[in-house]
Amino acid sequence: METRAPGRIPSKPPSKRESEAAVQGIWSGTISFSLVAIPVQLVRAVDSGRVSFRMLHDKDYSPLQRRMFCPEEDKLVPPDEIIRGYEIGPDRYVLITDEELESVSPERSRTIEIIEFIDMEEVDPIYYDHPYYLVPLKGGEKAYRLLVEVMSRTNKAGLAKFVLGEREYLVAVKSAEGALALITLHYSEEILPDEDISPKEKKIETEEKSRIKQNIKKMMSDFNPEKYADRRRKKIMEILSKKVKKIAPVEAPQAEEEEGEGPADLVAALKESMRKVKKNR
Amino acid sequence: MTRRVVESAGRRLSLSNLEKDLYPSYGFTKAQILEYYRRIAKFMLPHLKDRALTLKRYPEGVDKDFFFEKRCPSYRPAWVKTADLRPDDGERMTVCLVNDLETLIWVENLASVELHVPLARTGSPGTPDSMVFDLDPGDGVDILDCARLALILRELLFEMRLACYVKTSGRKGLHVYVPLNRKETTFEDTKKFSRAVAIIMQKNYPDLVTAKIAKEYRKKKVFINWAQNDSKKTMICVYSLRAREKPLVSFPLEWKELEDLAGQGDPERLQVLHSEAVSRAEKQGDLFREVITKKQRLPYL
Repeated sequence: METRAPGRIPSKPPSKRESEAAVQGIWSGTISFSLVAIPVQLVRAVDSGRVSFRMLHDKDYSPLQRRMFCPEEDKLVPPDEIIRGYEIGPDRYVLITDEELESVSPERSRTIEIIEFIDMEEVDPIYYDHPYYLVPLKGGEKAYRLLVEVMSRTNKAGLAKFVLGEREYLVAVKSAEGALALITLHYSEEILPDEDISPKEKKIETEEKSRIKQNIKKMMSDFNPEKYADRRRKKIMEILSKKVKKIAPVEAPQAEEEEGEGPADLVAALKESMRKVKKNR
Repeated sequence: MTRRVVESAGRRLSLSNLEKDLYPSYGFTKAQILEYYRRIAKFMLPHLKDRALTLKRYPEGVDKDFFFEKRCPSYRPAWVKTADLRPDDGERMTVCLVNDLETLIWVENLASVELHVPLARTGSPGTPDSMVFDLDPGDGVDILDCARLALILRELLFEMRLACYVKTSGRKGLHVYVPLNRKETTFEDTKKFSRAVAIIMQKNYPDLVTAKIAKEYRKKKVFINWAQNDSKKTMICVYSLRAREKPLVSFPLEWKELEDLAGQGDPERLQVLHSEAVSRAEKQGDLFREVITKKQRLPYL
């Protein structure tokens, strides 16, 4: 249910799914390898941090909707007239149906089956896609703790295939401060070629090299992400908080207050019926 | 953990922690919950049939944490019927369909004290088979105010040639259902209609009614929640237990009875306990039958 809370800006962009996801998780099932199966729930590990805005109509502050528009006919296109095409050239498309897409959609995973263990150091961070946590469910706590400990001690990660949403991902399951983290990985074909990136320069002078080395040494520090913040986000939130305190937020028209929202005949009939009800009482 | 394996209709069910008291301030064990649902099943199952069940589970009791579960647990027995939902904007998911007694007992063994279902069946997710007015009292008003309002609402709908039926929410409010059972009806229709009704009620009884969703308007008012008429929303199923101090039931009432009770002025008398629910249902049958059978058309749309 949507609620309005004037005078307060939530620290995160409000999202209906958020509170639900906190309890429910994104997925639940088991994580398994050889003979061990641990019931777990997948939860989000990061929030995008983006401040999102609604597009409003400046005349009455109604939230706006996106519609599909056909420039050829100069009109809005209803959902049942919309199909998908894969662009193969200028104005040339191959059509694909929902059924065809469905036929290749992988079935939802019930387990995260670890197929091999790897050294996490071997994985180039460029392969990291999105992090999640796995939370143990009832009855799985002990095995979960054991797996976390062994993985952290050996610095090993489990590789598994896992379907989330419509896609099958390659995922790495690793220990992260007493918990299991699951990181979806990019497939190798998603990694863009990098041959042209490093310049083919001639020899670098030794002197130059050691100067840079020294500079780096001087600037060495521990990694403290808390020191840094998204300054733009912080400033936006400050502006918004100030505005909420000083100026009343604008309100979208409450659709339910407007008689015009119901069909005229219905509203007229209701009025007439209500008149009769009141007379009889 | 204690387990007991039972057999019903040739299906094996492993029941756990039957002696656990899930209503500690009243004293009502999981075994008693299962027994309640076993006895009420005959009346309740037609209302659960082919609807995507949302489980609301209270594994540690009704006074402790609960969680919603929309997906049918993957460790379900093979005979549990499921449906695959493909919402336009959401993730696909597999949901449980409680179409028989064994499934009902199985979900109750998961301590899903409350059973919530949508107004449409999974085969026709865009077609609500009823329109609902969820009368939700704010602070300072109670179920008696809801009753007075429900009686007015019933007359208003009657003037529009629509029959309607009422049940307690099992918490503080009342739910008024208008059967439709026509495949032409959409949620857009029921939302438009119910909203117009809620607004006209608010206009005529401004001291008692609000049609506004925002919480700050609900003090001392009964909120007519028309927005429940949505494919994404669920309602507590008729005959479901509620997780309160006492095992109260969302139970159908006759209009005459509601009229009498509203006149008597004791809000507690509108609440129906588990034991009363069973004995009344066995005596009077399912007062909510018409909600899933009677065909009615929303006029003026």
